[in-house]
Amino acid sequence: MNEKEVLQRARDFVIENFMYMRKNKTIGDDESLLRTGVISSLGMMEVVGWVEEAFGVIVDPEAITEQNFDTLNGIASFVTSRVSASAA
Amino acid sequence: MCGIAGIIRSSGKETTLDALGAMAAVLRHRGPDGYGFYADADAGLAHVRLSIIDVAGGAQPLTNEDGSLIITYNGEVYNYVELAEELRRAGHQFRTRSDTEVLVHAWEEWGPGMFERLNGQFAFALYDRRTHMVVLARDRFGVRPLFYAQPDGDLVFASEAKALFASGDVTPAPDPVGLDEVFTFWSARAPRTVFEGVSQLQPGCWAQWRDGRLTVSRYWAPEYERGTVEPADALEQLDGILNSSVNLRMRADVPVGAYLSGGLDSTVTGALAAAASPFALRSFSVAFSDPALDESLHQRAVARVLETEHAVQSIGAEEIGAAFPGVVRHTETPVIRTAPAPMYLLAKLTRERGIKVVLTGEGSDEVLLGYDLFKEAMVRRFCLRQPDSAWRPRLFDRLYPYLNTGNRGGTFWSQFFLTAGSTDDPLFSHMPRFLLTSRIKEFYTDDRRAALEGTDVLQQLRDGLPADFQRWSGLEQAAYLEVTTLLPGYLLSSQADRVGMAHGVEGRFPFLDHRLFAFASALPGRSRLRGMKEKDILHRWARQKLPDSLPKRTKQPYRAPDVDAFFNASRPPEYRDRLLAPEALEAFGWFDPAAVGGLVRRCLAGRATGFLENQALVGILSTQLWHQEFFTNRQSAAPLPPEGADVLLGSAIHAVHNGDRG
Repeated sequence: MNEKEVLQRARDFVIENFMYMRKNKTIGDDESLLRTGVISSLGMMEVVGWVEEAFGVIVDPEAITEQNFDTLNGIASFVTSRVSASAA
Repeated sequence: MCGIAGIIRSSGKETTLDALGAMAAVLRHRGPDGYGFYADADAGLAHVRLSIIDVAGGAQPLTNEDGSLIITYNGEVYNYVELAEELRRAGHQFRTRSDTEVLVHAWEEWGPGMFERLNGQFAFALYDRRTHMVVLARDRFGVRPLFYAQPDGDLVFASEAKALFASGDVTPAPDPVGLDEVFTFWSARAPRTVFEGVSQLQPGCWAQWRDGRLTVSRYWAPEYERGTVEPADALEQLDGILNSSVNLRMRADVPVGAYLSGGLDSTVTGALAAAASPFALRSFSVAFSDPALDESLHQRAVARVLETEHAVQSIGAEEIGAAFPGVVRHTETPVIRTAPAPMYLLAKLTRERGIKVVLTGEGSDEVLLGYDLFKEAMVRRFCLRQPDSAWRPRLFDRLYPYLNTGNRGGTFWSQFFLTAGSTDDPLFSHMPRFLLTSRIKEFYTDDRRAALEGTDVLQQLRDGLPADFQRWSGLEQAAYLEVTTLLPGYLLSSQADRVGMAHGVEGRFPFLDHRLFAFASALPGRSRLRGMKEKDILHRWARQKLPDSLPKRTKQPYRAPDVDAFFNASRPPEYRDRLLAPEALEAFGWFDPAAVGGLVRRCLAGRATGFLENQALVGILSTQLWHQEFFTNRQSAAPLPPEGADVLLGSAIHAVHNGDRG
């Protein structure tokens, strides 16, 4: 699975679960999910859980950083690197 | 405690006993022990009574010696014994032992100067038939409710809005801005309500209605004049006020009980009540089947040490779902938490056990700074002074440990708090709560959103702040906002008066004695919030004055199951799917069916676990119930007949009943 596909799945997941009530709003791939209020702190735990479940990767506590989880691109990049690391 | 209602005319319309009887009928839960009416050609008053003081002689409406002043009154003036003595010395004659009569003579003696002398929780109307003038008044903190409308230049008032509608003079219609306030502040802000054309008298205010004109004046407002040093005898002063406050609130001709939450505040009121009670104190508490919410172990520990006769109301998801429509009927407003439901069921149990007055710990967190919100505001301000500091935001981990479960994320989470409002904003302390609550509005229909375009309820709150506000410290500003928004609008109403009086149970709140407020607000801030230690002076007092064996813990915030009450019960309540269906949502026009559909899908999948979705689900479902109750499916009750009344006064009644009763 390439990074583009992961990005699309992450976008779908966020829209379906966190933006279903904002039908006229979109989120940019580099926009902060927390600062824009799309995802709350508890919601972030749900994203982490989804990443673990959907892609079979273990997310260590120290990996939950702004860089890895605060944007769609960050999530895509993090997941891709982990998946390819475990496949290697 | 009781229910009051009245119609005063300037339009020339007739006030019928039927209309007064209909108003009284829908307030009957507030006063199941008796009722009475006053009616003359252009004024009518009604009263339903919960007998607590002067059970034999306290029936209402009640008049002065010459019958020119008539009062209908809901509440308690605790220092009525002392006031009656003062009034007797000034030459007033008393016919009863009731606090009601004290108010009539107090108006004659002091006029508007009477209000600042009253220590209590009250809402009343005093009618002067010589001048065709009405005085309305409400207690300082807004413990007791008072609604009014002015259709066609007349004045119609009552303890609850449903009585205004029962009068036939006021047509129920929603106020969308009132709802927008609910979805910002958790309740509409007085004088606004969620009903168009219906106002509520603001706490600490009185009003005079004459010749079709209503003039509202304020006699009390929260003020903060902090000292720089805590007085050496501060603990003794606090001890004196707390004891006096509880002792005054034990005044009743019926047994007084207590609610125990397991936290420090109700332990304090329970301990002082037990000491003052001539009988073994009866205590009551709520137990939740969800262990994450339950505090019954701690409640029982307190009850054991205080040797109270303790009763517990167990609450699971099913009970909340089943009670919720009744709760909304009584709160008369959408709510964003189910937390009023357990209090509703607790009041029912309390009444079934024969108790109609309870002391509770309400008000302590506002007066002595107990809420996390105060600490949160302090930490946010501290962080924003050094925005680049890496360690300062770590304080949020201490404040909200669950945000950092297993060290997952640390300072990452704190972004929400640090981006919610600037330190220049007078609403700084409350912006995280207001912004989070406002997210329910994302579920509005497009039409609703368009209709509210340009309405900014936050700015309206800012614009109405008192001149002194800017002079106060950040903590004091936060305390003021709490005391004037959430306390009267939600806590004392939806979570106290309305759900207690639904079952004829009166709550009394020793921490809301205005003398305690004056004492606390003159203390240095650190006497109340010392670092991250809340209610510091109360903890010090408790260590010194209460038995060592008595637990003095800080309880967790009171929560009840929200989404779980409707989606995790063994059987969902019948109204859930019906009211959340697209047709019902479209018919009522508040919330977008597709957005609500998304929420329901997540609730069914067990994924709606965050604050936003919990409050949205409860807010949407309660709005649907509220709309159904008040606008599409309004029930009427048969008017209370004059034949059953304890009191019948006034020329209109004498004309009808040949003057056979006085």
